[in-house]
Amino acid sequence: MSSEMSRMKFYCDDDRCIECDGCTVACAEAHELPTGVSRRKVVTLNEGIEGKEFSTSVACMHCTDAPCEQVCPVDCFYIREDGIVLHDKDICIGCGYCLYACPFGAPQFPRDGAFGTKGAMDKCTMCAGGPQETNSVHERELYGQNLIAEGKVPVCAAMCSTKALIVGDAQDVANIYRARIASKGKGVQSAPYGWSKAYGN
Amino acid sequence: MANTWGYGAMTNSLGDIQNAKAIIIFGANPAVNHPVGFQHFLKAKERNNAQIIVVDPRFTKTAAKADIYAQIRPGTDIPFMYGMLNIIFKNGWEDKEFISDRVYGIEDIRVEAAKWTPEKVSDVTGISVEKLMQITRVYAKSTPGTLIWAMGLTQHSIGSSNTRLAPILQLCLGNMGEEGGGTNILRGHDNVQGATDMCCLSHTLPGYYGLSAGSWKYFAKSWGVDYEWLAGRFKDKKMMSAKGFTLARWYAGVLAGKPGEDKIHNGGTNLKAIFVMGNGITSIAQQAKVKEALDNLELIVLADPFVNEAAILTDKQDDVFILPAATQFETSGSVTATNRSAQWRYQVVEPLYESKPDHEIMIEFSKRLGFHKEYTKGMLIKENKTSYKFPEDATDEIARIIKTIGLTGWTSKRLKNHTDNWHMFDEVSLRGHGPMKGEYYGLPWPCWTETHGGSPILYNIHRTVKEGGMGFRNRFGLEHDGQDLLAGAGSAPKDSANKDGYPEITAKNIEKVLGIKLTTDEKKRIGKNWKVDTSHIIANKCMEAGIAPYGNAKARAKVWTFPDQIPMHREPIHSPRQDLAKKYPSYKDKANHYRVDTKYISKQTEKDWSKEFPINLVTGRLVNLNGAGMENRASKYLAALTPEMFCDINPGLAANHGIRNGDMMWVHSPEGTKIKVKAKFSFSVPEDRVFLPFHYAGHFQGEDLSHKYPEGTKPYAVGESANTVTNYGYDIVTQIPETKGGLCRVEKA
Repeated sequence: MSSEMSRMKFYCDDDRCIECDGCTVACAEAHELPTGVSRRKVVTLNEGIEGKEFSTSVACMHCTDAPCEQVCPVDCFYIREDGIVLHDKDICIGCGYCLYACPFGAPQFPRDGAFGTKGAMDKCTMCAGGPQETNSVHERELYGQNLIAEGKVPVCAAMCSTKALIVGDAQDVANIYRARIASKGKGVQSAPYGWSKAYGN
Repeated sequence: MANTWGYGAMTNSLGDIQNAKAIIIFGANPAVNHPVGFQHFLKAKERNNAQIIVVDPRFTKTAAKADIYAQIRPGTDIPFMYGMLNIIFKNGWEDKEFISDRVYGIEDIRVEAAKWTPEKVSDVTGISVEKLMQITRVYAKSTPGTLIWAMGLTQHSIGSSNTRLAPILQLCLGNMGEEGGGTNILRGHDNVQGATDMCCLSHTLPGYYGLSAGSWKYFAKSWGVDYEWLAGRFKDKKMMSAKGFTLARWYAGVLAGKPGEDKIHNGGTNLKAIFVMGNGITSIAQQAKVKEALDNLELIVLADPFVNEAAILTDKQDDVFILPAATQFETSGSVTATNRSAQWRYQVVEPLYESKPDHEIMIEFSKRLGFHKEYTKGMLIKENKTSYKFPEDATDEIARIIKTIGLTGWTSKRLKNHTDNWHMFDEVSLRGHGPMKGEYYGLPWPCWTETHGGSPILYNIHRTVKEGGMGFRNRFGLEHDGQDLLAGAGSAPKDSANKDGYPEITAKNIEKVLGIKLTTDEKKRIGKNWKVDTSHIIANKCMEAGIAPYGNAKARAKVWTFPDQIPMHREPIHSPRQDLAKKYPSYKDKANHYRVDTKYISKQTEKDWSKEFPINLVTGRLVNLNGAGMENRASKYLAALTPEMFCDINPGLAANHGIRNGDMMWVHSPEGTKIKVKAKFSFSVPEDRVFLPFHYAGHFQGEDLSHKYPEGTKPYAVGESANTVTNYGYDIVTQIPETKGGLCRVEKA
């Protein structure tokens, strides 16, 4: 951790992503999402084509200049001091403007109604819950678990089988990725590293 | 594998793959089947510049991460590997010293390899000469290279030849017993290695002791029961030593006698009852036969955490019992990982509702069937106790008895200690530090004594035996055709008292081989040989002298007891290339193959199968499901990723049959069976083949069986089983079904 907090960020290393969907299942399971709602998705392009297929995991990118926040007609979005973009479902009117504004397709809407899109928007919270009292029943019902409040890593990145998906303070994410790039071709990192050290990189 | 160098197990570990400079993968898809383990492949590529080479009929998720990919025709791995050897020998890239000191029979391999010119290989496999050359050069020149395989190599009628030629390729390149080398066979499920070691097999006792009277007597003694009492449980002593049916063909034991069915040799009777514990028998080839067999049984007992879909498949109404078994989270004990490491698991929650852990189910049965005392006595012997504590005492019983694969060091206390301290081990070398110094994580077997640290890399002579070093096992005698089968001078494990090759250690030869003198007391207590020496004198003396108890011999390229002494190409039973099937025909039919007469050449030549069924059929796994998929399809979120059974089909092939993406289609099998599945366009398969995942059940030949699930037990996803249309065909040695290279016909539904 750097001494100064910058912003919380996700990064997916597509050299490592193998479309195992561990992130999406962990997310859905942890927050008990309805099956039509995908807070996180793995996207694969050019499936089956030699030299061209690649996969990457996408969710809300918690933008600095979040377009969703700017277009929301009822101002339900708020950006925490650590950069996590959240919204208040009790205010959201389910209009869908944020979906059109979002470059990543992050906003999700319940699909169980007869006419499709309706109800409050749902999206990745970086496992940080919502505006309700932290770890309250109401917060859990509306937004799922609040792991950030417990000092834990969001479930998607924790589950990632190849550590393609990294999350944390932008500085730390950059440091991990920089170390990965720097170690390219430099040989195996074996003892004296233990599991936690080596696995984390 | 075991027939090549002594043990049939992964030689290195997942973490050790990071040490490789080249990784060649035949018929395995670790990115899907071992997603967590696959990080080691990716790290090898990132940090070690390792070249990843994938040889597979299908462009898999693993292939997407490869540097070189070769789309091989199913069932032609042997020509491909001989093609590589042809180029290696021609250029002198083989490790001559390694071969001369540590391998027997390579001359015959040279002769066969010379016949497989790159042009000929290209015609048979479909891989261009240039690509074969490129792959061979990269793999032979980037050492150490590790060779990976899984079911894609084994599930063929020539599977046992495939799994011999892959080790031979590694031997020729001197890649065995090296960090970053080895033959790393990836076990497909949790604890498969442990289940195999403990003999969930029909042809051996636990620890691969075989079924001879001598082995039975060793176990009778070790279990504290009378050998004659044990023998009395069998029809006769001949049946006691006869191999049983296999999972692949148990159905033949029920159906024998019906028209067209294979003859059986089962002590004069058909099978009448089946007891299934945690096995997805709805994911076994010849599903229609499995169904018919289930229908004809007198009793079916299925013990599983979820409803075993065998109960759904069968039309049998009475005497079908479903017992609720507990999951791994509701019990404790040791499991064995793919790399021969053990790990102790602690119980997380008490068994839910009426469910019971597997061992309790078995122990309760033993009480009701009247042999509880004999069944559990082995757990009391070590400390002469009056009552047992499961699973600790069972683990200690295993450690006390199983010498063949070196489980002596696997006491429950040590295994727990490893799990408790797992942060003190390195992920690549498995070496422990701090209080765990001198031990490797999970004590990978062979772990010769109660203080031995395990052997993370088999056949590694650069380490002392105490540090996990060893040569190849002396398992096939001392000589063959007048040639010495022991290792050459100078290829003994580091700091060995005997620098030469030596035989497996017995009471008779221990003094000579180790250069020691036993005391009179030791002579009195010592067991006959290292496999049955319960006094531990052989193991302890060997450790002191740096000698591997199982000897130091040559690996063999030639297995004189097999139908093909060296691996030979034979076309699949159902081959799309009839011209090649005539040139490389299958084996003669085999009588009494695990109690069943099994067809090879007669099936292959019954007719030109490829006329009616021109498309190759390949089956495999999906990342979100495993095995028969019972437990995964019962998970809402896992099922949601692939809610329907589907068939990967190339848009070109689909267009020729008027099939659109998302249409329903029929897949017909030479067995006369068919399945109705959803077409999923994919370029991962070329136009001459289709891919089916094998995790679905609940539909059968177009019929939805959903109404047969007991209330509230229907999984979120049901569908046709791929194995309803996999073809007849079984390996000549192991009888594994030929699911990775059959034929089919597709049609718009």
